[in-house]
Amino acid sequence: MPYAAPPETPPAAVSAALTTTNVRVTSSFRGARIVLYGAVFDPTAQPSDVVVIVRGPDAPLRMARKTRVAGVWVNSRPVVFEGAPGFYMAASTRPLGEIASFGTLRRLGAGVDHLAINAPLEERTETRYGVRDVVVSRLGQDYLDWRRAVVRLKEQSGLYAADEQGVTFVDRGLFKAEIDLPTAAPIGVYTAEIFLFQNGQPVSRRMRGLTVEKAGIERALYLFAHNRPWSYGLVSVAIALAAGWAASVAFRRN
Amino acid sequence: MDIYLPIAEVSVNAPILIALGAAVGFISGLFGIGGGFLMTPVLIFLGIPPVVAVASEANHVAASSTSGVISYTRRKAVDFRMGGVLAAGGAVGSFIGVEIFRWLRLLGQADLVVSLSYLIFLGVIGALMLSESLTSILRQRRGDPPKRRKDRRPPWLYGLPFKMRFPRSRLYISVIPPIVLGVFVGILSAIMGVGGGFVLVPAMVYILRMPAGVVVGTSLFQIIITTSLTSVLQAGRNQTVDVVLATLLLIGGVLGAQVGARASSRFRAEELRALLALIVLAVGLRMGLGLFFTPDEPFVLMAGNG
Repeated sequence: MPYAAPPETPPAAVSAALTTTNVRVTSSFRGARIVLYGAVFDPTAQPSDVVVIVRGPDAPLRMARKTRVAGVWVNSRPVVFEGAPGFYMAASTRPLGEIASFGTLRRLGAGVDHLAINAPLEERTETRYGVRDVVVSRLGQDYLDWRRAVVRLKEQSGLYAADEQGVTFVDRGLFKAEIDLPTAAPIGVYTAEIFLFQNGQPVSRRMRGLTVEKAGIERALYLFAHNRPWSYGLVSVAIALAAGWAASVAFRRN
Repeated sequence: MDIYLPIAEVSVNAPILIALGAAVGFISGLFGIGGGFLMTPVLIFLGIPPVVAVASEANHVAASSTSGVISYTRRKAVDFRMGGVLAAGGAVGSFIGVEIFRWLRLLGQADLVVSLSYLIFLGVIGALMLSESLTSILRQRRGDPPKRRKDRRPPWLYGLPFKMRFPRSRLYISVIPPIVLGVFVGILSAIMGVGGGFVLVPAMVYILRMPAGVVVGTSLFQIIITTSLTSVLQAGRNQTVDVVLATLLLIGGVLGAQVGARASSRFRAEELRALLALIVLAVGLRMGLGLFFTPDEPFVLMAGNG
């Protein structure tokens, strides 16, 4: 049944806000939990589903596969993957597959299976069966194994998560989702997209921003290490030598 | 009490790290080694990225070696001239080693080379030291006279040009063997995140034939220079030195090294060597044998883009 709103009623809409928009990574940082609250405005009271997608900054990542060579497990040549967000969370009111079709989810990049992770350096285009510019990956049949491994390893470190019951309605039209940032969450600008689905189609969309940044002494040290790396190295060695000397003097007095 | 490390970007338990630093510092002072070969694997095991562990560990080794070397200097057990020659080679080795390490990381083979180096170097040196020290312990137990040390030194030590006098070590030898040894240890230092004492100490005893009394202090002295340089190079080239991590480790490390240096005079040299050999062997096997087991997870994520 195609969705068609009656002309006299306003269209359904979703609205949302984050409890925190700026996460400060200080020396006591042990991850953070951010709560997203939102409301669905729908005069027709159709069945609605809410999907929340949180993405951290994209960073290319390298992955290798261990292969056995002469009895020893060694790493293969590393493969560079692009398009993998540094943090990714998909929370929804129901399993994504029940909310929308494969094509819709793929188009929106909703769900870890629909992330546009690829390895551009491994790809080349060739003509196959008379079709020009077919993208072929050098990883061949194993490509899916590699892609799944990216997701699996990221999930293990808490950086990717899919929660099929992560969005809960706390009251009529009022919903809530929790975003858990692990300690390893990358620094940068995050986006939270909130979709309202009705009849398998996204009918409303909201975008909210979130910044994770180093603060205080952590930030000062990080900037020092990256902006003046040689001075930073000299200072850290000076600390080491001074500490060694101080300990030896202190012990001599005793 | 957890603390977030700004460069490693992980959260660690501070008291555990300080205690580890102290334990490794004690071993460092006791045996005259930097202790990096123990600490680096432990840090990796605790979840610190290997590149950060290797680079920050060089800093920690520099601190505990400084702490140790000062007490050896007071006992006149440091041959500064020999240490300087070794360090000159070590400086060259550090440059080469840091570049090799960058190149290996690009190829994705850094883990393999680190594990293999641990297995080969620690395995061989540990086994040799163990058999040598056990033989001499057994000989003493049986009451046999100690084997007379061969005074005939290998001719190549003397045949080579550029001879130099090392009064503290009572040697007059070519500078080529110590420099080559220094280069080799410098490379190991950068690749394995170690000071290289476990190679230097036996090499000074068996190859350079230095008197046992000055070996440990001289080794520590050369380690300070090499690891300080490695630390600056790693910070400058790779930005992988975590000063918070290094400071946590060295708080315990410098104190442990003092206690260890004092305790060393209470043990017999052979017993100390046998104990060190066991530790070296265990670490080498632990790091290396993993290469032969089928991994649970066939894929590995690597940090960064190269």
